[in-house]
Amino acid sequence: MDAKISDKEAIDACLNGNKEMYRYIMERYKERAYYLALMFTKNSEDALDLSQEAFYRAYRSLKDYDTSRPFYSWFYRILKNLCINFTNRHKRLVRMDDYVQTATLDLGEKPDELFEQNERSAIVWRGLKKLDDKDREIILMKDFNDFSYQEMADALGIPIGSVMSRLYYARKRLLKILQNFKGDL
Amino acid sequence: MKCDEARLLMMGYLDNELTEDEIKALQEHLDSCAKCRAEWESFKELKKETSEMKFKPFPEMFWDDYWENVYNRIERGIGWILFSLGAIILLAFGAYELLEDFFLNPKEPMIEKIGVGLLILGLIVIFVSVLREKLMIRKVDKYRRVLR
Repeated sequence: MDAKISDKEAIDACLNGNKEMYRYIMERYKERAYYLALMFTKNSEDALDLSQEAFYRAYRSLKDYDTSRPFYSWFYRILKNLCINFTNRHKRLVRMDDYVQTATLDLGEKPDELFEQNERSAIVWRGLKKLDDKDREIILMKDFNDFSYQEMADALGIPIGSVMSRLYYARKRLLKILQNFKGDL
Repeated sequence: MKCDEARLLMMGYLDNELTEDEIKALQEHLDSCAKCRAEWESFKELKKETSEMKFKPFPEMFWDDYWENVYNRIERGIGWILFSLGAIILLAFGAYELLEDFFLNPKEPMIEKIGVGLLILGLIVIFVSVLREKLMIRKVDKYRRVLR
């Protein structure tokens, strides 16, 4: 695939009826989309299906996309909503909960559910689990889904300065939790 | 530079989002502020640890049909629109044929004809929409056999 074709060029071509050009967009973002969905679903098959569905829905709504903004932050909202709906629906159907919980970006019930096993990683994983949803989301977006600050600012609807500030406090809290773990050992 | 500003810049430095000038300014601050320097070392260590956390690998063939599946959904999406439009036109035509006498009867008031026409058209649109939803959910919902 020609890496020189920008998102804007590919999307403009799609809007002019050239569906094949959407492949450039998909190739560029498919791995991030898959891992993002995986952090919601904790299941490879569902993550694959939901990320594909998100690409389809994004294609259908391309005319609403502002090409001056990063594609992935717009796509993130589509995929996140799909994952939340899927997770809540799944919970209802299998009667795991008596109430509908809002799904969040998370790392699974056990450290080895999504990650390769590694003792130190398991400790960081436990620390991330202890954070509140907002702190965890911003760290996962940056460190586990390669968001740029501009993409995060657009996806979360906040200025870049606030992204840096939220990251600072989230990481600070994570460090504190990890230090407490060391104290417990 | 004040510590508050340095803290934000630390994040940018950690995540490769700073310009050369910003890096230089931050480094000057870190050289002169022991508290921020200690904080910076902790953040660097944390970043190293999170970057070493690797998602489980997946098979090479994982992506083989990815584009085809997305492309098929796009194509089928257009198919569903055409299916819906065709179904609405055909059902509306059928309903008109059935009620032709009523619609062509000059004794029936126009307002009544418009009301009946809109009622039937509305019902047809709802019917096609529900039918389409049922068919799509049946196709994609792997939990359909789970009892509610």
